[in-house]
Amino acid sequence: MRQPDLAGVFRAAAVTGTVHAVDLDTGAEVGVGPDEPVVLASVFKLPLLVEFHRQAEAGLLDPAEPCRIGPEGRTAGGTGLAAMLDAATLSLRDLAYLMIAVSDNAAADVVAARVGLKAVNAMLTAFGLTNTWIEHDCRGLLAALDADRGASPEPLDPRALAHLRVLDPANTNRSTPREMTRLLGMVWRDEAAGPPACAAIRRLLGLQVWPHRLASGFPYDDVVVSGKTGSLPTIRNEVGVVEYPDGGRYAVAVFTRSLGTAQNQPRADAAIGTVARAAVDHLRSL
Amino acid sequence: MDLIRHLRYFAVVAEELHFGNAAARLGMAQPPLSQRIKRLEDELGVRLFDRSSRQVRLTEPGRLLLAEARDLVARADRIRELMARAASDGVAGLRIGVPPDLGGPVIAALLAALREADPPLRAALTEMSTADQVRALIEGSLDGGVIRHPAGATGLAYGPVLVQHPGVLLPAGDPLAAFSSVHLADLATRPLVLFPRESEPGLHEETLSECRRHGYVPGEVHPGLHPQFTLGLVMSGTAVAFGPRVEQPGVVWRPLLGDPLAWRVSATWRRDDAGEAVEAFGSLAVRVLRENAGLADEGAARARTIRHRPSSGLLA
Repeated sequence: MRQPDLAGVFRAAAVTGTVHAVDLDTGAEVGVGPDEPVVLASVFKLPLLVEFHRQAEAGLLDPAEPCRIGPEGRTAGGTGLAAMLDAATLSLRDLAYLMIAVSDNAAADVVAARVGLKAVNAMLTAFGLTNTWIEHDCRGLLAALDADRGASPEPLDPRALAHLRVLDPANTNRSTPREMTRLLGMVWRDEAAGPPACAAIRRLLGLQVWPHRLASGFPYDDVVVSGKTGSLPTIRNEVGVVEYPDGGRYAVAVFTRSLGTAQNQPRADAAIGTVARAAVDHLRSL
Repeated sequence: MDLIRHLRYFAVVAEELHFGNAAARLGMAQPPLSQRIKRLEDELGVRLFDRSSRQVRLTEPGRLLLAEARDLVARADRIRELMARAASDGVAGLRIGVPPDLGGPVIAALLAALREADPPLRAALTEMSTADQVRALIEGSLDGGVIRHPAGATGLAYGPVLVQHPGVLLPAGDPLAAFSSVHLADLATRPLVLFPRESEPGLHEETLSECRRHGYVPGEVHPGLHPQFTLGLVMSGTAVAFGPRVEQPGVVWRPLLGDPLAWRVSATWRRDDAGEAVEAFGSLAVRVLRENAGLADEGAARARTIRHRPSSGLLA
């Protein structure tokens, strides 16, 4: 079977990108630069979610424990608690829901503080995902971005991008497309934690609201798309699992960088779905 | 003159190339055999054998005649055998209707199975749509049939229901041909060529409503009963079609993702006068359809599940 032109999809959308897709049941795979180091951006909330459920399973934390989030001192962001104004009390697991469903930065940092990034990294090492590293939580990531950007106006001047540590895999939360599909495979095969915990993780990934990236490649009522996005200036990512009505299931990780710095680039978002569809279609034709 | 009988004599002489041996094989004396060959030569106005040398040889016209003679003699024998069997059974064959798009190999397999049945079933097959078969069965001008469901007729008995999951036939240049499988929703508003409503009323309706449920609303539905007509519309880019896999330049067949369409087929006959012969036909037809037409037992049909996404849920 001819390899699909995955790189051509990226080119057509004016982005560079890497992708890895794997059939969770046969192990068949296809990719472009699957072992290149990539910037995770908010995709780091996926390993954080997995470690959260492992700790809950081990009795190290109570997922139903109420947490009060005051009006002051929240991590910034455009969704969820990060965008809300007043005090709220939510359980840890509902914060985890917001962190995945709308990529809520404030909720993610409450969960991260409780779980500990050290524990997340220890889990990744134990899983053998040695190229995956969580350097900072959302607050730390945004602080590094602000410090490097200085007074540069939005949208960023392309020259200013070169100075951003959060766009350099060596200095921020990082992984590779292949290690992300391996982590997803462990969740879907009940290997990352016990079956109830893995089921809870899968449920939350299925509740993510964004339709514009991975899900856009599979506009079908009988296909399930679960995933987690990640975005930073020029960075658009999503990793997830696509489940077909005939039982086929495929983990896909797509990481892109746009050439332009404009924030709104629907073509770049849609390219993630298009490349995932082409990769999955290839795996199904083997 | 009795041409067939003379040709039979001629064929034997041509095989033996020896009048004495041929006469012995035919259980007759040599002089009358020689006479008859002479009469055949006079009748046809050619010399069939060269008797000038010590050995008898076929002439060129004789050689040409031999193949024709053998064929005619064999066919005459078959007519006699067939009529003898019909006379001894005392019954006419079954009148069976089959869908026009069943396909040559399936028809051939069905006829072979009828012939090889024990006792052999004599049947005349006619191409007929489901609606015509149902009408003819009820009128009594047909004894059995192979129909598509839902047939919506009372008074008929059905054999086991078999299922076929059609794929989609696309013009070779269609962008969807690049994918290994196609979702019904991918077809968007492409025109469709489908069996006419009048000939396959139940399946026409069921197929279109299943298409709509999966997000495919054909901009236009062209009626097409015969596979070659359907292929023509697809090849020309006029429409897409559903059906079993075909290998045909200009047309690309792709499976439909999740097998959303289930075409159900079964043998049928009048419930009130089901004879042994028609029931034997029913079980034989099921076997042929299963083995030669790629149809599966009905249990194989999958129920469809709708998976909700937060971004497209209620009030989202």
